[in-house]
Amino acid sequence: MGQKLIEMKGINKGYKLGEEMVPVLKDVEFEVEKGEFVAILGPSGSGKSTLMNILGCMDTADSGTYFLNGEAIHEMPENRLNEIRNREIGFIFQNYQLIPTYNIMQNIIMPLLVRGMTSAEAEEKCRKTIELLGISHRLKHKPNELSGGQKQRVSIARALVGEPAILLADEPTGALDSSSGKDVLKLFEQLHGMGNTIVMITHDLNVAKHAQRIVHIIDGQLYTNTLPD
Amino acid sequence: MKLTEILKLVGLNLSQNKSKVILTSTGILVGSATIMLVIAIGTGGKLEVAEQFKNLNAGAIDISYEYQETGRSFGGGRGGGMEQGGAMDGGSMGGNAIGGGMSRGNMPGGGGMPDMGGGGMPDGQDMTGGFGAAQNTEKIILSTEEADALLEGVEGLSDATISYTTKSDVEGGDLEEAVSYTIAGVKENYAQMSNLTLAIGDFITEENDTYKEKTCVLGYSVAKEIFGSALDAYDESVYIDNRPYVVNGVFAEVGTVASGISPDEAIFIPYETGIKYLTGKNNVSPTITLIAENVNEVETAKEQAQTVLAQIYPNASFTVTDAGSKMEAASRSNETLTMLLAAMAVIVFIVGGIGIMNVLFVSVRERTNEIGILKAIGCSQKDILLEFLLEAACISLIGAILGVLLSLAVTPVIEQLSVRVELSVWGGMLSLVFGCVTGTVFGFYPAWKASKLVPVAALNHE
Repeated sequence: MGQKLIEMKGINKGYKLGEEMVPVLKDVEFEVEKGEFVAILGPSGSGKSTLMNILGCMDTADSGTYFLNGEAIHEMPENRLNEIRNREIGFIFQNYQLIPTYNIMQNIIMPLLVRGMTSAEAEEKCRKTIELLGISHRLKHKPNELSGGQKQRVSIARALVGEPAILLADEPTGALDSSSGKDVLKLFEQLHGMGNTIVMITHDLNVAKHAQRIVHIIDGQLYTNTLPD
Repeated sequence: MKLTEILKLVGLNLSQNKSKVILTSTGILVGSATIMLVIAIGTGGKLEVAEQFKNLNAGAIDISYEYQETGRSFGGGRGGGMEQGGAMDGGSMGGNAIGGGMSRGNMPGGGGMPDMGGGGMPDGQDMTGGFGAAQNTEKIILSTEEADALLEGVEGLSDATISYTTKSDVEGGDLEEAVSYTIAGVKENYAQMSNLTLAIGDFITEENDTYKEKTCVLGYSVAKEIFGSALDAYDESVYIDNRPYVVNGVFAEVGTVASGISPDEAIFIPYETGIKYLTGKNNVSPTITLIAENVNEVETAKEQAQTVLAQIYPNASFTVTDAGSKMEAASRSNETLTMLLAAMAVIVFIVGGIGIMNVLFVSVRERTNEIGILKAIGCSQKDILLEFLLEAACISLIGAILGVLLSLAVTPVIEQLSVRVELSVWGGMLSLVFGCVTGTVFGFYPAWKASKLVPVAALNHE
């Protein structure tokens, strides 16, 4: 067994719907080891996005403990969470979430700028990542001048430049045609092979199958089983 | 995040939304231009007042008498600025007023007591009739005798003179037909007392006056109108009421003055000459001008002058005004105007600020998703607040700079309307500062709202 990167215990989360409290996550236990590629598979409404938000430190649980890379996320104040998101987590979203007014390069280096680097330093640092993703010829373009697959590569580049502990991908192929989707998944496998830890959320079993391990989420509860290779 | 990087992003955002920036900054633009012009017009007004009064001696006291024929209504026709008070004003109507009126005993039938208040002088700053509602039915013509009596009887006077003005047809020089000019009958000390200097020639002398000589000194504009220039006018003759007068001198240009005779527009002749040839003895109402040595003693001098006059004419009321309070009144009205304009500028700024606030609110709403992304990659609240605030500040700075430029452009137009505009660097600085502060203050709330957005909600905002 390797080093535990994510350790969640007894996570509960509910939303208020009028007077009633609707539970979304029920006593979730979830662990991810360093270097793993895990898929969380579940239908819509199963609570997988909520889990993703808590994993990504964008939302907090009502109860339970969450350690990320040894740090107690559940006890952290808001400003520390900003820092954790910046250093430890690389987000990849279904709809890419690129800032439309900035060009590709500016989008990619944003996490580094937030960290306090100058843009010159940041551009230097992300050169390799850009080459790896094959988007070097698009750096001066605006996001809306790129295809979906290219946009997703940009968003993966942005997630990678900060060298986070974990990549969190929320339906990364959801908005792509099947061939670009396959490319992205191949890229994930490649990144996994390079030692990156990836947690991917999807509702599609075929997508999930690319992961090393699949965790099912149904009605806010996790069911863990390791699939054979 | 480094401030330089935030500034770069601000620059990027602004350059991509040029039309929005221009529209948003319009409010600030107008505000800044207004502030700049308000200051410029205010300063100009102050200088204008100072210049208008430059020929007025602050220690000067004017005394005149308004003759009223019987049968006229009380209080009417009083000199300069005195209102015809309707109701009886106990405070301002002293015993003198009643006494004066009663002793004469020739009140018109309809008058009655309350009407006595007709002269009820509001405690005017520039008017101290003092004797309230006395009725000037006695025909009094002030003369050198009274002037001498005053010079003797009032303490702390440096000089006294007497003058009058009348209108008369003038011919001569380049004039093709007779033109009516203001003719001033003055004593030899008038020029010095009124701070007037001659461009050429000499002023009227005591001899000119004593021998009722037909000499004159022209105002600068008059000389130009009649002869083309001061030089051409000298030693020529003008015909006043068909009698020739030798031009002994021409005054230097003075410009517009606040009150009294405008020296540029008048022809000055010896006092006695004018009485003999133009007005006649009984049809003139001269003004005695006293000069107090000490400006602070003007009030006392005015009171003493009243006392001296009351001894000579117990039943008359003289109009006593002093230049100092005229100046004060003029600068006060100028200040009022400046305040009014300043209030207008403040309103413009508030409107402009609310405009900025609205646009920024819309902008925050439009860019909610972007804010969500920034939050997801770990951008702190402080950085987001700073970015939006700097955007607001930059928009207002642009507006303020354009405003200053606009005011520079508009200045010649305003000057065309003969309003004096004195642009100043500190006025420009102040309007820049005001513009930026307004934009930033009004931009704070939307920026703060933006920084407080919950990342998940912001990300999923469509």
